[in-house]
Amino acid sequence: MQDEQSRKQDDELIARTQAGDPAAFDELIVKYSARLYGLVYNMTSNHEDTNDLLQDIWSKAYRSITGFRGKSSFYTWMHSIGVNMTINFLKKRGRRFHLSLDDIDANIQNDKEFIELTATSSPVRAADLGELQKRLNEAMQKLSHDHRAVVTMFDIQGMPHAEIAKILGISEGTVRSRLFYAHRQLQNFLTEFH
Amino acid sequence: MTEEQLSALLRLKRYEQPPAPYFDQLLRDIQRRQRSELLHRPLWKIAAERVQTFFGEHSMGHLSYAGAMAAVLVLGVGAIGLMTPGGNGGHANPGIATAAKNPAPLAEEKILSLQASAAAPRLGAPALSTTPPGFAPVVHQPRYIMDARPVSYEPSSAFNF
Repeated sequence: MQDEQSRKQDDELIARTQAGDPAAFDELIVKYSARLYGLVYNMTSNHEDTNDLLQDIWSKAYRSITGFRGKSSFYTWMHSIGVNMTINFLKKRGRRFHLSLDDIDANIQNDKEFIELTATSSPVRAADLGELQKRLNEAMQKLSHDHRAVVTMFDIQGMPHAEIAKILGISEGTVRSRLFYAHRQLQNFLTEFH
Repeated sequence: MTEEQLSALLRLKRYEQPPAPYFDQLLRDIQRRQRSELLHRPLWKIAAERVQTFFGEHSMGHLSYAGAMAAVLVLGVGAIGLMTPGGNGGHANPGIATAAKNPAPLAEEKILSLQASAAAPRLGAPALSTTPPGFAPVVHQPRYIMDARPVSYEPSSAFNF
């Protein structure tokens, strides 16, 4: 998931942060915020909540970084904090939320998969893609927090099973079974778009 | 919808990102928050950090551990003392507590112990008195009164009326 050079760079930035250099921590924020945003946003489906949570997550990471011993990568460590804090937040939030999913970046227009999905040969028409995305987000919200976390990390962020297992503190078998169950549920929710 | 289509659709969600300026603003917000947290930290946290820094700067890490262990030990002993039944912590001197627990000796026991102490010869004791019974022993005490007039004493005529 993470190459050796990137990990070395992280180690150096962490060591500088632990030595009291806040600029090094800023570099870590810049490096990982986009990925963390993707993780939190796809679990909360709300931009404002994501923004608040990201600040909480980075603050917690800054307070805890003196205890970081490098047993796992910084990336894995940050995702663990992010997932746990987001799940706790979702448990507290319950059903009091609204979707704010109008932030699809312009980059999506150039994506190969997007082009394939919206091509004339595709069964999914371009006009329906927006609606399909909306329905998908609603379907995601119907999943349990644990299932949503697994789908977000595996399907959206492209993380391997082993890393997801490490982040969530569960076995790889549990990750696979949760994915299978979540996919089945999502397919059922989106049946009408078949 | 097939598994592949679902996976492709889910992969598209990775592009749901805010515009780049958002992350600059996020960094500024986090920095502001960190500064604010530093200013509004509780007093005990600041005190703990200063103590930690003091020990760190003076290379007394081992002393801090020793101090912490001693404090824990003292607190532990105190807590055990308070929690033990009968250990109300009122007696500072353990001897007092012991004396209170032992009952006073009986009169008969006292007599026996006195006789025993009188019969037993004691090394280094003073010699026995030779004065016959009934006579009070002569006690030589220091005297501060002169017995006779001094040789050089002559009565003064000035006072011989």
